[in-house]
Amino acid sequence: MKMRNSLAGLMLGVLTGLGAPAASSLAADLPDLSHSLTRQTPTPAPALRLKDLDGTSHDLAQLKGHVVLINFWATWCPPCRREMPSMERLLQTLKGEAFDVLAVDVGEDADTIDVFTSQLDTRPTFPILLDTRSHTLQAWKVAGLPTTFLIDRQGRIVASAIGGREFDHPEIVQAIRELLRN
Amino acid sequence: MRFPALTLLAVWCAVASAGTDTSLDPETGLATWQAETGGIQVRLTQISPDQARAFYLARGFSPEAAGRYARECVFMTVVRNIGDTPVEHRLADWRYVVAGEPDRTIRSKAEWEALWKRIGVSEAARIAFTWAQFPDTQTFAPGDWNQGMTTYSVPRGGRFDLHFVWQAGGKPFSGILEQVRCADENA
Repeated sequence: MKMRNSLAGLMLGVLTGLGAPAASSLAADLPDLSHSLTRQTPTPAPALRLKDLDGTSHDLAQLKGHVVLINFWATWCPPCRREMPSMERLLQTLKGEAFDVLAVDVGEDADTIDVFTSQLDTRPTFPILLDTRSHTLQAWKVAGLPTTFLIDRQGRIVASAIGGREFDHPEIVQAIRELLRN
Repeated sequence: MRFPALTLLAVWCAVASAGTDTSLDPETGLATWQAETGGIQVRLTQISPDQARAFYLARGFSPEAAGRYARECVFMTVVRNIGDTPVEHRLADWRYVVAGEPDRTIRSKAEWEALWKRIGVSEAARIAFTWAQFPDTQTFAPGDWNQGMTTYSVPRGGRFDLHFVWQAGGKPFSGILEQVRCADENA
């Protein structure tokens, strides 16, 4: 048998609730996350109105004029956990520009999410929204986690990504800057 | 799109085996089987009964319901588009074969859902379950990938071949993960 990386260990550590310490100790052995975005014909984004961890409502329609990265995720999903810090770095890279990140958690409560985010080196400063009954995921036709959409200033889906990504990769930053200029 | 069974068999025969790569995680002792063929990578990693049980207990399953799931042979399943053409899979078209037995389909999320409803698993737990399973169907652009659990009715330590199929450019393709082994009870 040929030895490979410890991806399986990471998955199973998360699966069994061993938590972030076990996961992070193995993260260095994992292959790089990819950074591809799939461009698509611009189509109006479905509605997205959800409350965040503090109970504050967020409505995507209110963000017209901004470029928005919308990430569907859950704490038990290993690639979701891996890519989340890169979304915060992306947000900081584009700080001061008309760019927002919304992370939509499926089916979990605020306490569960807080346990996860408290283990990150940097807590996310973007809103984490609660799609408790997964109705929003279904409206967005999400088939698996993580799935991410890029919304242009006109409120249209212009790109997507299925599976974990390194969102602060220069190519993704460049793609968002292009959208910000349009 | 459903593929005719005869077409599937023909494709399986045509593709034969692109080779199954096997690895063992030294920390967990759990094994992974992986194949890369035709621009797609498919990987199965053993999940032990204890791990499957613990995962669902932590998400609101009763011990009985979690135990029912853990009786199956559970694998973390990863599909990755490593080519340059969009690919689409439909889990209902996949088959697994235990030597000397007829091929079988993978138990669908809908079948599990019906069972969970019947035995009173809460909605929150069922939602977590649904999203933790490998999607029934999904289209992967180049670079896309996904993971989730799939289950097989195979005895502990038993082996099977997994025939996975997908479409790319409107054409059906297939590959095989050979001699995948169900995790032991005490893995």
